[in-house]
Amino acid sequence: MLETIMNVWEGLPLVMQIMAKITLIVAPLMLAVAYVTYAERKVIGYMQVRLGPNRVGPKGWLQPIADAVKLLTKEVIIPTNANRYLFLIAPVLSIAPALAAWAVIPFDDGMALANINAGLLYILALSSLGVYGVIIAGWASNSKYALLGAMRSAAQIVAYEIAMGFALVGVIMVAGSLNLGEIVSAQSGSIYHWYLLPLLPLFLVFFISGVAETNRAPFDVAEGESEIVAGFHVEYSGMAFAVFFLAEYANMILISALTALLFLGGWLSPFQGILPESAFAIPVIGWFLDSGIHWFLIKTAFFLFCFLWFRATFPRYRYDQIMRLGWKVLIPVTIVWLFVLGVGVAFGIGPWFA
Amino acid sequence: MLENYLPILIFIGVGLLVGIIPLALGMVIGPHRPDGAKNSPYECGFEAFEDSRMKFDVRFYLVAILFIIFDLEIAFLFPWAVALDSIGLFGLLAMALFLGILVIGFIYEWKKGALEWE
Amino acid sequence: MNFEAFLFYFFSVILVGAAVAMITVRNPVHAALFLVLTFFTSAALWIMLEAEFLGIVLVLVYVGAVMVLFLFVVMMLDINLARMREGFIRFLPVGIVVAVAMVSVMTLVIVRHFHMEAPERAGADYNNTEALGQILYTEYVYPFEIAAVILLVAIVAAIALTLRRRPGTKAIDPAQQVRITRKGRVRMVDMKSEDKS
Repeated sequence: MLETIMNVWEGLPLVMQIMAKITLIVAPLMLAVAYVTYAERKVIGYMQVRLGPNRVGPKGWLQPIADAVKLLTKEVIIPTNANRYLFLIAPVLSIAPALAAWAVIPFDDGMALANINAGLLYILALSSLGVYGVIIAGWASNSKYALLGAMRSAAQIVAYEIAMGFALVGVIMVAGSLNLGEIVSAQSGSIYHWYLLPLLPLFLVFFISGVAETNRAPFDVAEGESEIVAGFHVEYSGMAFAVFFLAEYANMILISALTALLFLGGWLSPFQGILPESAFAIPVIGWFLDSGIHWFLIKTAFFLFCFLWFRATFPRYRYDQIMRLGWKVLIPVTIVWLFVLGVGVAFGIGPWFA
Repeated sequence: MLENYLPILIFIGVGLLVGIIPLALGMVIGPHRPDGAKNSPYECGFEAFEDSRMKFDVRFYLVAILFIIFDLEIAFLFPWAVALDSIGLFGLLAMALFLGILVIGFIYEWKKGALEWE
Repeated sequence: MNFEAFLFYFFSVILVGAAVAMITVRNPVHAALFLVLTFFTSAALWIMLEAEFLGIVLVLVYVGAVMVLFLFVVMMLDINLARMREGFIRFLPVGIVVAVAMVSVMTLVIVRHFHMEAPERAGADYNNTEALGQILYTEYVYPFEIAAVILLVAIVAAIALTLRRRPGTKAIDPAQQVRITRKGRVRMVDMKSEDKS
């Protein structure tokens, strides 16, 4: 049975194989995006002692689908003085990089769609493209709120991208590779070999910059619904708005997955090297304890939860405070830590240069 | 090496399609009843006072220029970090000098107040 | 025509088309976006030449940073098209001289190497980032440090040219806000309770 399936698979042309793999990544991702929106409303609801959506389907489980159908049947309004083509291209430009970055994410050992050597560089380049969707949307709508939101967001994304880049350099210095699979493999050993502890400052900087890059609370001045209505997408409605929404959540999941890969050892099990080998031989429990894709998903889900948790916990930063945090706190911290790492490399000290 | 980039090319295409298809569906399925008030840009119910494309504080441009410079610096750091094992102490010191010069620039802009937002 | 040649012509046609459109379109924002497309397709061509590091860095630095600045400038300045066209005739001779110089330099370079043997394809695990790193910081360390100095000059110049202090802003300094302590704000005062009876 399995052999026939494998034979059929091998017989498919390369492009078909790639398309099948891409579908296997994109379809669950879109489903995850839909249910992250649901989880967000539920989690924040419970944190604020409310119930959250609970009317559509059992416990509100069908809410995201109802939302999708509603958005699909709404009019896509194009404002009178807007630049028609750019107005419609902007949401596409914001979701394409958010999805294309998943091409190099390894889900398990060797389970990446494209195993390129410059993986991390590719992700950094794509995340720097995300700013175009925002700027073009803001400008093309020909609305003051949209333009203000776009400018704020662009300057913010730009400032945090530097901190993020420096944090990535630290990880590469230690791992010695740009390939995400190799970075995870370099962390194998035990939970102490993960980069979380040795690179703790960079981990914090990376995750904070990730939250700021995705324009999420507490750094959501780009939307700032209480001051500039909805920022860059104030003029968008119906599916055009939904695509921006998808992009934002796809980016959130991407940042969570990256944090899990770079600092928490991706698919590696936390029990690796701690439990005796025989523990992994127990039938079902052993499989769960051993490294595998489920650990990657659990870690990613944890960081996603952090995104929602932040939103329920922190009040919004003021704009000048955001710029100060990015330029005057995060960047100096990363530069200092790069020098520390450099000294560590030069004298061969530190737990990670074994 | 190139065979590794084929999936990426296709994935970018799929990414664009995932954006375009819902948009097209929304425009086909959704109603289309234009209306002067509905299509005017949102300005809290007022008529728009002036063209929305206004002049901005020069500070935004300064941030963008500084971003380019630091982005270049990161681009220089990436191959260095990858080749760190093989270039030895000399490469390490070369980068220390490079970063040192740029830290001077960073301190300069900090002291000049270019990072203040007022 | 194999698939690779097809991809090459596909990207080349878009590249040339976008470059031409960039000069001919009226709207400056559209022109900037066509320039973005030009960079993007040239990055694709570079990657096809197996210069993966350079290709991705082209996207990272030019598309991700330089063009963002261009867009900032082009979107926010009120560019008066009529006045721009007045200058067109006046600067035409200078433009032609620059164009002729550029074209002749490019022809000189291209003609000499027009029929170059295609270099051998590198293997699947060829790492061009590492190869670059190995020589950039050792063999070419001197130009590398000069690059640092040029970037430093750029920082200083950017600040000197654009930084203007506006007097009388009511901005709050977040650094000061962060530094406040309880001692500076709260004063405990002992007061006798007033007996109203």
